[in-house]
Amino acid sequence: MAREVDVRSVVVQGLSILLLCALIELGAGGVFTGMQEGFTAFLPGLIVMVPPLLDLRGNINGALASRLGTGLNAGLIRPRLRLSAEIRVNLASSLILSVIASATIGIFSFVVNLLTGPPTINAIQLLIQLIAIAVIAGFTSGLILASLTVVMAIFTFKHGWDPDNVTAPAMTSIGDFVTIACIYLAVLLVI
Amino acid sequence: MAVYNIKHIILESYPVLTACIIIALAAGSLLKSSIVEISEVPLILMMIPPINGMGGNIGSILGARLTSALHMGTLEPKLRGQRVLRGNLAATALISIAIYSLIGAAFIVIALSSGMPLASSLSLGLAFFIAGMALSTALMFITIASAFVSFKGGLDPDNMVIPIVTAVGDVLGVTCLLLAIKIVGV
Repeated sequence: MAREVDVRSVVVQGLSILLLCALIELGAGGVFTGMQEGFTAFLPGLIVMVPPLLDLRGNINGALASRLGTGLNAGLIRPRLRLSAEIRVNLASSLILSVIASATIGIFSFVVNLLTGPPTINAIQLLIQLIAIAVIAGFTSGLILASLTVVMAIFTFKHGWDPDNVTAPAMTSIGDFVTIACIYLAVLLVI
Repeated sequence: MAVYNIKHIILESYPVLTACIIIALAAGSLLKSSIVEISEVPLILMMIPPINGMGGNIGSILGARLTSALHMGTLEPKLRGQRVLRGNLAATALISIAIYSLIGAAFIVIALSSGMPLASSLSLGLAFFIAGMALSTALMFITIASAFVSFKGGLDPDNMVIPIVTAVGDVLGVTCLLLAIKIVGV
């Protein structure tokens, strides 16, 4: 990256990815609301869990994308699709964070449900179920999206784009879809 | 910058992520408790995801760019005489203007096709644009502040900025939208 910012290329690259995200978000809004309401029927506390899980996914991958963008721009990471030590460390820490933070979300949504929801008969079982769903959904979506983040950062960098402009926004938008799908999968597995 | 270290990344990120989880839970229940009042404004529920999403995305791009520049030394964590900072802010402002006017225009079309009169459709689109610009401006400040403060404090801003910006964006997005609708008077 030069000392001078090429405003034009930032705007062109950033805007084209944001347009794509806007289309996804406008189109997916209705579908999401419907799907999320469907969760309430499965298990109390589940609906509480969805927004923070989606945010978490965006945040962990956003941070991963930001680190990779920095690493690639600074020449610390080579733009090759190979599991180099740097990429391994980045991937591993994202996945470990996914598991720990998802478990935290499971516990929090249990507490919120305990405080605001109707009384539960089998609280311990609900707690275990909520943690299990959060962790399974968090880990599977984390694995898929972290790999995608690495591929996208390297691919864009190789083609002369700045991964800082595109990777994080793309991942938050794609991430919402993948995460919702993974929550469904986890619910089916656990219940 | 040191070469990546799993323990560092996790120890730095987990507190920020947990704070974001709490903010997301709080924002969610706040929204739920005021949903009756909010949904009196037509189409507003449809506007919340794009305004929050775009705010977070724009902040993320700026954040990712600033952190790269900080790490490479082309940007110093101070406000005066920073060409890289100015260029990035200009690009962010341009992106914001373009994307929020486009989505605002899309909402005018949606409002018209759902049978709203022309005047209120136009003011709804205008309200979305104003809200988006206000949100972007606020997020630019937050992005710069969180990048500079974490970098100066010896934390990796790559781990800090994006979670902070998206969490604040979610809370501020709805607020900006409600304020803009009050100002424009839909």
